[in-house]
Amino acid sequence: MFPIQRRDFIIGGSALLALGPNRNAWAQAAPAMTPHEKELYEAAKKEGGELTWYTAQSDDITAQALGRSFEKVYPGIKVNVLRTTAQVAYQRVTQEIKASAIQCDVLSTTDIGHCVALKANGSLEKYVPENSSKVLDIYKNYDPDGTYFVTSAGMIGIGYNTSKVKEADAPKNWTDLLDPKWKDNIALGHPGFSGYVGTWTLTLRNQYGWDFFEKLAKNNPRVGRSINDTVTMLNAGESEIAGSGPVGTLMESVQKGNPLAMIYPTDGTVLIIAPSGIMKGCKHPNAARLYMEFLMSAGASQIWVDHFNETIRPEVSAPKGVKSAKDLKTIRPTVDQIVKGIPEVIKQWRDTFGV
Amino acid sequence: MSRLKLTGVSKRYGDFLAVDGIDLELQSGEFVSLLGPSGCGKTTTLRMIAGFVDPTLGAIEMDGQILSSPSGSVPPDRRQMSMIFQSYAIWPNMTVEQNVAFGLELRKIARAEVKRRVGEMLEVVHMNHLADRYPAELSGGQQQRVALARAIVIRPSVLLLDEPLSNLDATLREEMRFEIRRLHDEFHVTTVYVTHDQAEAMVTSDRIAVMNHGRIEQVDVPRALYDRPKTRFVAGFIGRTNFIEGSSDGHQIAFDGFALPQSSFERDVAAGSKAVFSVRPHSMRLSETPPAERNGAVGVVVVERAFLGEHWDYVVRPRDGAQTLRVTTSPMQDFPIGATAWLEFEPRQMALIA
Amino acid sequence: MTDNSLDVRAVNFAGVASRLRRLDASMLLWLALIAVLVFLILNPVLRLIVSSLQETDTGHFTLANYRSAYGSLRHLESLAHSLELGVGVAILATCFGVPIAWAISRTDMPCKAFVRLMVFAAFVTPPYLGAIGWILLAGPNSGWLNKVWMALTGASHGIFNIYSMTGLILVVAVTSFPYTFVFTSSALDLVSSEMEDAANILGARTLRTTLRITLPLVTPAIIGGIIISFLEAIALFGAPALIALPARFNVVSTQLWQFFEYPVRVEEAAAYAMPLLAITVLMFWVQRRILGRRGYTSVTGKGSERRMIALGPWRWAMLAYALMVCALSVFLPMLVLIQAAFAKAWGRGFSLDNLTLHNFYYLLFEQTQAKQTIINTFLYAAITAFAAISLTLAIAYVVNRKLVPFSNVLAFLCMAPFVVPGIVLAIGFYAAYASPPLALYGTATILILGFTTRFLPIAYTSSAAGLRSINPEMEEAVRVLGGSRLLAIRKVLIPLLKKSLAGAWILVFIPATRELSSAIFLVGPNTRVISVMLYDLSEEGNFEVLAALGVILLVVTVVIAAIGSKVIGRDFMLRRNS
Repeated sequence: MFPIQRRDFIIGGSALLALGPNRNAWAQAAPAMTPHEKELYEAAKKEGGELTWYTAQSDDITAQALGRSFEKVYPGIKVNVLRTTAQVAYQRVTQEIKASAIQCDVLSTTDIGHCVALKANGSLEKYVPENSSKVLDIYKNYDPDGTYFVTSAGMIGIGYNTSKVKEADAPKNWTDLLDPKWKDNIALGHPGFSGYVGTWTLTLRNQYGWDFFEKLAKNNPRVGRSINDTVTMLNAGESEIAGSGPVGTLMESVQKGNPLAMIYPTDGTVLIIAPSGIMKGCKHPNAARLYMEFLMSAGASQIWVDHFNETIRPEVSAPKGVKSAKDLKTIRPTVDQIVKGIPEVIKQWRDTFGV
Repeated sequence: MSRLKLTGVSKRYGDFLAVDGIDLELQSGEFVSLLGPSGCGKTTTLRMIAGFVDPTLGAIEMDGQILSSPSGSVPPDRRQMSMIFQSYAIWPNMTVEQNVAFGLELRKIARAEVKRRVGEMLEVVHMNHLADRYPAELSGGQQQRVALARAIVIRPSVLLLDEPLSNLDATLREEMRFEIRRLHDEFHVTTVYVTHDQAEAMVTSDRIAVMNHGRIEQVDVPRALYDRPKTRFVAGFIGRTNFIEGSSDGHQIAFDGFALPQSSFERDVAAGSKAVFSVRPHSMRLSETPPAERNGAVGVVVVERAFLGEHWDYVVRPRDGAQTLRVTTSPMQDFPIGATAWLEFEPRQMALIA
Repeated sequence: MTDNSLDVRAVNFAGVASRLRRLDASMLLWLALIAVLVFLILNPVLRLIVSSLQETDTGHFTLANYRSAYGSLRHLESLAHSLELGVGVAILATCFGVPIAWAISRTDMPCKAFVRLMVFAAFVTPPYLGAIGWILLAGPNSGWLNKVWMALTGASHGIFNIYSMTGLILVVAVTSFPYTFVFTSSALDLVSSEMEDAANILGARTLRTTLRITLPLVTPAIIGGIIISFLEAIALFGAPALIALPARFNVVSTQLWQFFEYPVRVEEAAAYAMPLLAITVLMFWVQRRILGRRGYTSVTGKGSERRMIALGPWRWAMLAYALMVCALSVFLPMLVLIQAAFAKAWGRGFSLDNLTLHNFYYLLFEQTQAKQTIINTFLYAAITAFAAISLTLAIAYVVNRKLVPFSNVLAFLCMAPFVVPGIVLAIGFYAAYASPPLALYGTATILILGFTTRFLPIAYTSSAAGLRSINPEMEEAVRVLGGSRLLAIRKVLIPLLKKSLAGAWILVFIPATRELSSAIFLVGPNTRVISVMLYDLSEEGNFEVLAALGVILLVVTVVIAAIGSKVIGRDFMLRRNS
């Protein structure tokens, strides 16, 4: 897929080492650049050698790692990585569309509803990456018209601080969060900011009805913005439980040495399908196409996995001891439910939680 | 017992001796000026009397009680004195009435009584029609009156004034000089007045202390300071004067270009010694014709002249001398430049300085 | 023999042609300046007002925006919260700033230079950074202060909860009090000690004199400080976003942000923003009424010597108070921020194995945006400062020398942005200039224009003050000798104003580096500034990197300000370096 030179191997290897122990080394020699990729690469360089990527699909560090990796594989193309929460990214993109000043080239969001809406008003460009046929089956064919593709997936469970909560006492299922013993000690994100939290809220509404959240509000949770805020709260010791706990961020934090642990609820772990698309009328269309290829490549999946996110390629597997979506019972809403439901739950959330 | 007494008061700032051994006594109701050029220490002395500055040496007493000494002093708010500042220090955010009432209110006087006394005081200074005005709406002279009213209404034991008229124009200054004196007379306030303007001091004061380089050179009634200055500085500072030096041979004193007999002077100058006299410009007479008594006169040439309306200012030079002398004459006596004339001396008005 | 006869043309001043020439030049100047000011100020504000009455996408007149903006109880509550925040901050900032200003300006309190430095540090610290510091300090379960309390008393809960209105008021007040401090102490510096002596000798002691004479004399400054801190507080975005949201209440600024979520509802946002504008105008009207006819400056020029009041043992009490305020605003937040900046995981505390330089390394070398963001921030702030100072100097000159008729209109327009909260101004700019035809969305231009407008009032006040201190006779001397007005300006005025202008530059530069409320609406992906990046980083809770970025911001700002003040020989309050 791309030529691994000795230099790249050393740099790549040390980059992986720098990120911590327990990495799958790039043991397999990856295939060289395909002719299609080469073509895109040349065109991208001629365009100006730059790409602007709005992403909500990970934290900043992972996003930066992906951007750096692309730059190493395709030298001469600079990637501007802008990581925000999904709603903020979407807001910026819609502002740009309204002002007819598109700055974003590739949008990676965690709310598939965004892509549906953008496609509907003709703001996404059609491009079917070569790699789109090589991803895991569950991530294929979300848009038959080829304007957006799943490039990332993640899971949400319940996290807890092991120095404050014993394993035996920890919640085992979503409904355990309603137990009054967790009052003042639960951290949540906000669906109005985070696509992950939006989907999570919708999933749990589907599962238990909105009543679940009315009761949850009585436990006085600490509401942040991003889903990653919950991990911060746990680390800070501010909350003992992350009610909407992102698996990727939390496991990465554990690996840094923080006293956290993940619970995969018995009723199901929420699975987030996160798509990306190319903005129509963007400044660097060829670089954008190349980036879409990259995001769906094994190399990108390796980086996802290194940061405890899900892999979307079958060749890449999760590190030892880390559960992956295929090992778990997962629950998630349908695309239609997401499109209609997320704005609804945002409004309901504001009414129930006051912000 | 004197009202206010300064004994050996000195103030040193690092190496600089601002005030050097001041002795001064004021009787009750007396109006004394501290007169001198800038930097002579008069304001520092005043501030020591007020209690804003502590003396390095010496003591300040009032009615026998020690107010200031190097070891400690009564703070200004407890001295029962009042002060008028150079900038008047009228509080611009209060009306005239509120300004004047301030001191009375501090003394916990009943409101009705305060209003009455303020009203009275404002009448005295002719300001009661402006009682509700703010200082920004008043002229310089009016602000001055407010300052006076505020200071006097509390019946201070001593009233201190720090060059209060220096911000006013000439006409206003003259008017306010009399005003200040009038108020003093009406209320019999013991007053210490600091100024560099000798005319002000002369008009207002019972006595004047002339200060120079931190010391008092002479304390006297105005007339005596004028006619009988004891030092060169005092002579030159109060009014204009000519300094002429002469040497005595026992019979006459020889000056530059002329001589006067020893006998015409009140005091003898020892033979062989020198003497400096202060001769006021108006104490000499300029005439066209030689005077009868030749001994006290000298022929002169007119070098410069200026007509000032009320008098002529002449600069003349004795025919046989180099030093010029200033003479004033009435407006009628018109001598052109270069003309010759006779200058007649009045030895009794010649003050022996040194 | 030089020719001293008059130029005939100069003498023919009665001719129509020469009259026209004179009229033209001044008219042109006036028109040019007005055009700039209209572009910067009037147009955005008018567009805002017009937008609030327009229907989205169709532009028809409607009151629906106001209905939906104010029909909701939640929205009204947010407004009430903003007012509560503003009043609380104004009171607290005054309590902090005024006594310290008095102590420094008029008494013999020790360690003045240190306290002034700390006030400056508080001035340089953006409110949102202070908020982060206080979250680390007083998060109800995790904050350092609470941990200390729990350790000392064995309690299971901390006693400080930063996620509350009280917490928010404290956080904002400790970064706002430099305003009240600067206003009050500048005014106090001008009060002649004779004012106090006069009260003294009439029988009033220190406290009574201070309360009845000294402080009332600087009432305009104190009121000015109160108003500024109130207005700043209600327009703030960053600190409320960080603290109010987890505390589950909204203020107007965070509510406005929601109107900018998808779908963007500029019209509703405009309608919702109107009260902020109205409140600001009201504040200034109130100020004029209170101050009324009374004068406040000392009426004569002489005797403005200032002596320090000797406080005796009380000076230690004053110092203790000042240090307490400094602790709240600088020491404590800075301490925890620096700890977090150098920590692998800030929650693990002050241990040696928790130390790392990685956060800085990450920012400067790995994070693609950080370097550019840092450069952007200081570059835009510098350009803003230059633009604002140049424009306001020109206007102040025209106004002060009365070169054109109705010059007061220019002055009024320069001060008008004061009345518009930053966030509202940004929305107005967005409404007016982001879309075609100008299409300035995401450019550095719109950001700089927005900032320049926002800081026009400060720049104008400084320029006008500087100009007022120059006697016009200086330039007249040049003109009598035959030089043109421009020559006089170039050779006489500008050199004389150098120091004052440099001081004004710093006064615009520093707030521009930390501005968030207006930046958040106007930045594009390539024009991000540090404040927005800090906000974005706070969204994912990466406090370590955030703290490191904050430290970089503070260090560079302080260094630039220090260099600047050395160069001009005065500190940030434009006092001579003693």
